[in-house]
Amino acid sequence: MNPQLEALFDEPEKRYLRPEELNALSQYVSSLPERINLYRRLRSEEITLMQQVADTLQQQMAGEPEDLLKRSLKNGLLALRYVAMAMLTDDVDFVKKRMESWLPGIVEAYGTRAIDERLHQLIYEQLSGRFTPQQMALLSPSLVTARNLLAPQEIGTEADLTSETLVGLF
Amino acid sequence: MISIADLLIDDRLPGNYFANDVYVRGTLELGLLENRRGDRLLALPDALLKSIISGLNNETGQATALVLRNCGLWWGKNFYARFCEELSDYHGKPVADLSMAEFLQALQECWRTHGWGVLSLNLDYQPQGFLVIEIQNSPFTAHAVQPNQPSGALESGILQSFFSQLTGRELTCVQTSCESLGADCNRFVLGLENRLQSVPSLVQEGQPHEAIMRVVTR
Repeated sequence: MNPQLEALFDEPEKRYLRPEELNALSQYVSSLPERINLYRRLRSEEITLMQQVADTLQQQMAGEPEDLLKRSLKNGLLALRYVAMAMLTDDVDFVKKRMESWLPGIVEAYGTRAIDERLHQLIYEQLSGRFTPQQMALLSPSLVTARNLLAPQEIGTEADLTSETLVGLF
Repeated sequence: MISIADLLIDDRLPGNYFANDVYVRGTLELGLLENRRGDRLLALPDALLKSIISGLNNETGQATALVLRNCGLWWGKNFYARFCEELSDYHGKPVADLSMAEFLQALQECWRTHGWGVLSLNLDYQPQGFLVIEIQNSPFTAHAVQPNQPSGALESGILQSFFSQLTGRELTCVQTSCESLGADCNRFVLGLENRLQSVPSLVQEGQPHEAIMRVVTR
């Protein structure tokens, strides 16, 4: 859940919640039907949405090896599930918490940044074609987070380790 | 064409198995802290680590580092087996089918989530046949074992047996820099024993990591 909301429940022994804190909670609760509705649609449309993304991606990046495209699509599916969960729980940091520590490293290691950026763009287009601006507003913060994880960043040195194993090293 | 339904065939998209908000859980009413598979975890107080070292120092003197290293070797052997088991269960395939990048990233995440610090691999000396593991914020080196000497004997042991099993070679691991001596991180050099023979005495003399690496790669 949204960490600020979650923190509301931490210390009942200290004091009762303030009116503005209860308001924040009510606001979240009243947004829930819309969130659940959107989550249901993301769930039921996952395969059709991502299949269209996959078809376009494969056309646009015909030169890329299929196993790299598959790898990126799997991570795209995963990212979309995290985005859906982040939206449902109103937790903008969720995508970051679950993906930040490993996704940039894997993108770097397999050199799939160009594919992943295109993929992200295609997923975004699919979503905005299917959902209202209000619904997109609920998804956007996490989509942006996911997008930012693809940007080049300071990370470890696993780059050379995909094709060769450490066994050959010694 | 790529079929999305096929990609989802086992209905699982492996992410970070060791994500800390999922990995650490427990049956707290029974006093059990557990990982996500239900294996028991322990919170290890810093004071206990300190007392183990001072207890060993009192009882065995100079042998403390050797004892700790031995413990690390045993720990590493079990750790490697359990780590591989957890990882292959999660990914639904043998560890050998994971790429090295995925495997090592899981190791880093595992390290971090257990509170053992931030582990990273330095491949600068890979062409010469050495692997350098750098660990920041290690809880295991916080207390000196012997004055002015690196204190990561336990970690040297675990890394040595972990990477020996991973690579199928008998590797040696020597610590060449230590946070407890003011270094920015702990560095552990892994390589074949005959190529690292000169390192322990260089470390004892207090030579810096880079200088030691210059000697062994000469």
